[in-house]
Amino acid sequence: MTAVALAPPRRRRALRPGVWGASLFVGLVVVAAVVPGLLTSGNPGAADAVSALQGPGADHLLGTDANGRDLLTRIVYGARPSLLAGLGATGLAVLVGSALGLVAGLGGRFADETTMRLVEVLQSLPTLLLALLVFTIAGPGTLNSIFAIALYLMPSYARLVRVQSKLIGRSGYVEAATSLGLGRIAIVVRHVLPNAFVPLLVLATIEVGLTIVAASSLSFLGFGPKPPAPEWGAMLSAGRDYFAVAWWVAVFPGLAISLTVLSITVVGRHLQRRLEGRPS
Amino acid sequence: MRTVLIRLGSSLLVLWGAITVAFAVLQLTPGSTIDAILGTAPVTPEARAQIVSDLKLDRPVPEQYADFLGRIARGDFGHSYQLHDSVTGAVGRELGSSIQLSLVGVGLAFAVSIVVALLTAHRRRSVRSLSSGLELIGVSIPAFWAAILLLTIFSFKLGWFPAAGADGASSLVLPAVAVAVPLMAIFTQVLREGLELALDEPFVATARARGASDAFVRVRHALRHALLPLVTLVGWLFGMTFGSLVVVETVFSRPGMGQLILHAVEGKDLPVVLGVVVLTSVVFVTVNILQDLAYLIIDPRLRGAR
Amino acid sequence: MTLFRSAAVLSAAALALAACGGTSDDTKPDTAGAPVNGGTLVYAVNTEPTNLDPHASPQDITGLFTRPVLDSLVSLDDKGTIHPWLAKSWEISADQKTYTFKLREGVKFSDGTVFDAEAVKANLDHIVDPKTKSQLAAGFITPYAGTTVIDEHTVKVAFSKPHSPFLAALATAYFGIESPTSLKAGPDALAKKVIGSGPFVIDAFTPHQGITYHRNPDYDWAPEGSSHTGPARLDKLELKVLQEDSVRLGALTSGQVDGIASVPPVNVKQIKADPRFTLETRQAPGGNYNYYPNTTAGVFTDAKVRRAFRDGIDFKTVIDKLYFGIFQPAASPVSPATQGYDKATETAWKYDAAAANKLLDEAGWTGRDGEGFRTKDGKRLTVRWTFVRAFAREQRATLAEQVQAEAKKIGFDLQLQDATVAEYVPRFAKGDYDLADFSWQRADGDALRNLFDTSSITTPTFFGQNGSRYSDKEVDGWLAGSLGTTDNAERAELYAKVQQKVTDNAVVFPVYVFNYVLGASKKVHGITWEPQAYPTFYGAWVTK
Repeated sequence: MTAVALAPPRRRRALRPGVWGASLFVGLVVVAAVVPGLLTSGNPGAADAVSALQGPGADHLLGTDANGRDLLTRIVYGARPSLLAGLGATGLAVLVGSALGLVAGLGGRFADETTMRLVEVLQSLPTLLLALLVFTIAGPGTLNSIFAIALYLMPSYARLVRVQSKLIGRSGYVEAATSLGLGRIAIVVRHVLPNAFVPLLVLATIEVGLTIVAASSLSFLGFGPKPPAPEWGAMLSAGRDYFAVAWWVAVFPGLAISLTVLSITVVGRHLQRRLEGRPS
Repeated sequence: MRTVLIRLGSSLLVLWGAITVAFAVLQLTPGSTIDAILGTAPVTPEARAQIVSDLKLDRPVPEQYADFLGRIARGDFGHSYQLHDSVTGAVGRELGSSIQLSLVGVGLAFAVSIVVALLTAHRRRSVRSLSSGLELIGVSIPAFWAAILLLTIFSFKLGWFPAAGADGASSLVLPAVAVAVPLMAIFTQVLREGLELALDEPFVATARARGASDAFVRVRHALRHALLPLVTLVGWLFGMTFGSLVVVETVFSRPGMGQLILHAVEGKDLPVVLGVVVLTSVVFVTVNILQDLAYLIIDPRLRGAR
Repeated sequence: MTLFRSAAVLSAAALALAACGGTSDDTKPDTAGAPVNGGTLVYAVNTEPTNLDPHASPQDITGLFTRPVLDSLVSLDDKGTIHPWLAKSWEISADQKTYTFKLREGVKFSDGTVFDAEAVKANLDHIVDPKTKSQLAAGFITPYAGTTVIDEHTVKVAFSKPHSPFLAALATAYFGIESPTSLKAGPDALAKKVIGSGPFVIDAFTPHQGITYHRNPDYDWAPEGSSHTGPARLDKLELKVLQEDSVRLGALTSGQVDGIASVPPVNVKQIKADPRFTLETRQAPGGNYNYYPNTTAGVFTDAKVRRAFRDGIDFKTVIDKLYFGIFQPAASPVSPATQGYDKATETAWKYDAAAANKLLDEAGWTGRDGEGFRTKDGKRLTVRWTFVRAFAREQRATLAEQVQAEAKKIGFDLQLQDATVAEYVPRFAKGDYDLADFSWQRADGDALRNLFDTSSITTPTFFGQNGSRYSDKEVDGWLAGSLGTTDNAERAELYAKVQQKVTDNAVVFPVYVFNYVLGASKKVHGITWEPQAYPTFYGAWVTK
């Protein structure tokens, strides 16, 4: 079906325990993000001054924060904004980046040059600076952080798709397809995108983890979702004032971020090796 | 030579693009441009009128744009009415501390990863998986999280290092480690892969055949080859370090660019934000040109190619 | 910055600040042993001035930063008595409209300028000059008519009507006398450096970092009643800005600084238990940290809804738990350390959720929507609270989230709307909010005039502290009466009436009484306090 076979034959190998564990954890995070009610019966906003800063125990498995809210519940509910930011920003970047890459790869020289210069300008600014620039103009918030991170991620996808479209453009398939009476857009959809799909997916999987780190850093700095909405970076930030007397308020959200990013990276790398045909 | 000129030209184009973005931001910010520039700074009506005429804000947009470019060309990045200082003055005051932290942090990451890569490349599976495990942990601990842990353990609990500020070498240790942690992971990974490729090269076998010791081969022959791919990381490194600086400086209450820009964003001090944007892209473009030149020097074969 | 954080201006010279002086902890710094000269004291604070000129800035932290450098014409002790300082003596005319000061001779500013009558005139004129854009000081001498130089050491200050709070205002750092030469440098220069005749001289002020001073060796004009005379004991003084609570505390416990402002309540026990440190608390006078409902628009126009909010939230438990007993739950709009505090407010209202629910039913908020919030005619019981998170000290954001959850229990949808100062100010001026929060430190009952007088309502051209936008002829009358009399008991009676009326009508939701909690190393001695609960360093010394 696919015109240019870039993916080499796949090798079947048993998953290593690390990859199994990581996949399981990613699954858990996805469940928490989609149906948090399955994992906890609590309400993340249920503040209760009387039970503030209780240590991990039978009543509260991971303890409570300064407002007496159950940390486990908040961490479960915090999966959604983190995953949303990770997937949202990566998805947006893939979409816009691919579109720009197509324009650059299939359009004329002028379109190519203009698009690539724009991409370079974006790439010349660190993620955080780009995000802060967006916040200065449009104010802080989840959507704006997703937008800002996507802006930064976009260039690599644009480059990737541009190269793919150039490759295909030269491969003779376009001429052949055109002679068969197919329009340019149809060619793009049928040939360029399927070919670019595998490398795009690999890049995207690896980057979801980094994107979650970027988004939680922004929340940590106070530019994320509005409290009392649970978000790991913001919870960690609030928890550090209590570190000396209640370590759990900061440590558990921090662990949640680390474990999630770790698992996604492990799964992503495994996927990369699988798809690129390298031994796992 | 032609390659260098083309490269230079396109770098200038990128710079011009960044400046234009900054100008566009000023124009697109809701409300009048003068309000955007002043932010929350209290300014008398007379001073306000003076600023409008100084910055030609009462002129048509193309003229404002030309003036904007001209001022940047002269090294005038604007004035912060909240800091009561020029943007270059404010940046100049904070830059040194940030550069110091970045250099020590990056240097530390570099040194550690060279050692780890040398020790683990092509070693037993258990050694390698230990190393890649550490790399993974490095990637998954964001700089702010590392910073908080370091601060809590080594300053609050053990009292080995000061908690805040930038007085002396001891106050640099913890922030530098926090900056280095995420970098180390990537450095080690790239270096180790490079080393392993190099160790498979024929010249290594030749060296070994001549009786060179394993350590000698690794350090003298393979390492040089493994360092090359690191050059490609410069752009990434720059963005990563900047991001770490902002959060690490916040956690350690350390003066620097991170604090400057964060306060500017919170106070809507647009001249400082835009000044930092333009300056950053100047630095980035310079670093990129140096990177290209470094390639040409390291690998003469690239000289003819585009 | 904060427009509200601040402003401790004392009024009414003749009043004895009976309740002032605050509460002192049993772990007072050990001042035993002979004072030592020399050394450096590093003190960490949690906020910083955006403008160093106290004549212009509204921030109390500006007062703390400039007090070491600036002397005032008079001083105020914690009994409320006015003492001579740069003015040797003064006379008040029979109509109370003019003040004639005899000035001290031989005083020099640290830049060499001589202190004289012209200097006093230059300073007062500078404060009221529109170019200064004074956000606080000028507001405390609104009837100012002008200063006349009689001779080199005599000066006459005139007002258009009697203004009894003048001397107490003069005693604050906001009326500190700056070198007239330095005043000519303009607002931008003054924002970064002020020059005075005080015991210390500024070396450098670095925004976001702090300020350093060195001793003024020529200093020989300390106010009457100081712990010593002559130059300050410290060679150097440094104030460091460490906004993060955990970092400030860590800087103290790791020995990086000698003392810190605002020990976080959660860590007070830890510091008290540590033999290396002392802890001292001072109750701040003036307006407590309160919530102010907008009485002119939205759901809080109905007194029943206001009372339901105040009585339906268990503020006492929340404050006790969140602040570990370090800050007391407030009963009156002003703190017990304030002249004219009415103790009766403590029993005037209490937490009663059932009564609150009943009040809301009576007010017509009988419906409930899907999320459990009360509704009336299909409209939700929503309270919009414009919250400036960046400037929320003392875990106020955590407190706000707690109150939000508590309010939900009785059916309020309390929405925290984050805003920057730039967004906040115009909204505050228009009254576009349902709830506002701030504290207003000021040492006597006249703070009530700032908080509840009709003339204190913020307009686009005037920034006032009447956050409830409350306007009541009777209250205005009592407050005007209090300005016109110097009789202590009479004023206290008027202030009590004001407190009772605003409490009965639930015009304010008292939250907590702020205590200044100073933690310091045991080697620090001799820190004294200004009446508005701020530390001063003239007499401070450190053992080696």
